Amino acid sequence: MSFSRKLALRNYIVEIVLLIACLGIIIPLLLMIFGSFMTSAEVSKFQIRFPDKWMFSNYVTVFKEGGLARAFLNGMVITGVSAILNIFTSSAAAFILARRESKFSSFLYLFFFMGLIAPMSTITTIRVVQWLGFYGSVTSVILIYASLNTAFSIFLYSGFIKSVPKALDEVAFLEGASLLGVFFRIITPLIVPVNATVAIMVFMSVWNDITIPLYFLTDSKTWTMPLSIYNFYGKYSRDWNLIFADLVMTSIPVLILYLLGQKYIVSGLTAGAVKG
Amino acid sequence: MIKRSKSMYGYYLVWPALLIYTIFFVAPAIIGLFYSFTDWRLDRIGVHFIGFDNFHKIFTDDTLLLAMKNTLIFAIATVVGKNVIGLLLAIALNMRLKSRNFLRAIFYSPSILSVLVISIIFTPMLRTEGMVNKFFDAIGLHFLSQAWLTNPDLVIWTVALVAIWQSAGFQMAIYLAGLQSISKDYYEAAMIDGAGAWKSFTNITVPLLLPALNINLMLTLIGGLKVFSEVFVLTSGGPGNSSQVVGTIILRAFGEGNWGLGTAINTLLFIIVTLIAIPLLIFMRRKEVTE
Repeated sequence: MSFSRKLALRNYIVEIVLLIACLGIIIPLLLMIFGSFMTSAEVSKFQIRFPDKWMFSNYVTVFKEGGLARAFLNGMVITGVSAILNIFTSSAAAFILARRESKFSSFLYLFFFMGLIAPMSTITTIRVVQWLGFYGSVTSVILIYASLNTAFSIFLYSGFIKSVPKALDEVAFLEGASLLGVFFRIITPLIVPVNATVAIMVFMSVWNDITIPLYFLTDSKTWTMPLSIYNFYGKYSRDWNLIFADLVMTSIPVLILYLLGQKYIVSGLTAGAVKG
Repeated sequence: MIKRSKSMYGYYLVWPALLIYTIFFVAPAIIGLFYSFTDWRLDRIGVHFIGFDNFHKIFTDDTLLLAMKNTLIFAIATVVGKNVIGLLLAIALNMRLKSRNFLRAIFYSPSILSVLVISIIFTPMLRTEGMVNKFFDAIGLHFLSQAWLTNPDLVIWTVALVAIWQSAGFQMAIYLAGLQSISKDYYEAAMIDGAGAWKSFTNITVPLLLPALNINLMLTLIGGLKVFSEVFVLTSGGPGNSSQVVGTIILRAFGEGNWGLGTAINTLLFIIVTLIAIPLLIFMRRKEVTE
């Protein structure tokens, strides 16, 4: 057998194995998607098949009884504002840290970098938020998410800003531009792709998170999707069709974001994989 | 000139990020260090210094010790599982396969979903009479048909398997990005020199893949030690306390009003993560090839 024939055969075998393996990923997801359109009795058999009758009304029910509309809006506000806040503060900080080459700036970089490693101290964060007088509020959760994502965002931004030639800023400074002028007119337009990467990464992690809402959102009116669903799951554990409809609803925004923003996710991953 | 341009970059642009990060992340960690040595409780007025009592309790309480052991099991199992499977998938999906893009998207997709979603889907599947066991029985592998979520010796491994299922695809994507950044020229040069496939792999792919391996090991290790949501949704630490991990024990201590103890456990987790992660980080940085 020639070398190229052997290679082609090897590729066929690999492809067949992978196609079989990917059923292991697809089947559980189909169980959820098909199940979300079934009746309560039909879904409780937990079989992979098309529903006898497509019950779109399940989605209406979870919106009405599960209070999902409110949770959806809460999630959008918390996720959106914390992503925007994180983008502004982290890119500005990374700009200075990347440009200054002093001992103090490398110390600050390491100080931020520790945030990638250290676990959050939940109980004392509650204490701090209580002292500040806004425990249980949406604002506190937004600020906590902005702080939790600072380390990763600064890491991404400074890698990118370092590749922007310093000469660009210097010309602008010579022409009398201020620091803010340089940041907004020169750096910001160049880092739009990184902004997109950070926005998507922050959105996905915040939208999907259950830990922070569990500790910090004490009032059910402020709950996000995962926490509402977790509670709904506890209450309606017989109605798997409704639970599955809930799960599909909470997955749709990240799925849309993934489809639209795929290339920005890849560039974020590449930054990690290549620069370390 | 150089001196002047340096002073142009005022630190005031660092302030907003530094302030948010310090108030909501660093300050609680430092305050936590102090509270770890106190009897801070919900139902007690005033906070008293009690030395190492909390830490003594952590190392003598069976549930707390089990939680630490489970956390380590989960971390090691997921580091190995996610990286081995992720790397194999990346190598396979770097070949010229017809359905390559489709397969990449499918394997990556669970990692964009919430842990909550994945854990809830798997709950009915992993029951004794659930789909997973039915599948193993149907293909004749009866010994794999297990009490996944109710056998106390098995349950933490089950949670780890679900976590691997969810995010091996994420590790795959990072390895793929690393593989694609390796120039084809190296392989051609090696082929001309008469190197076989295995030699090219160990002498070109592995060293140039180190940054990707590095970031993947760090992400999976740190993530593994901080595990919470997977256990919380799949088992809530049960049956009994057999799948408790540090993350769920902290929530329990918080719920019971044992804030000093909960904070001490958190401090211990901080120390463990730092002691493992930082030497590893330094070690791996040194090994990386600089071009």
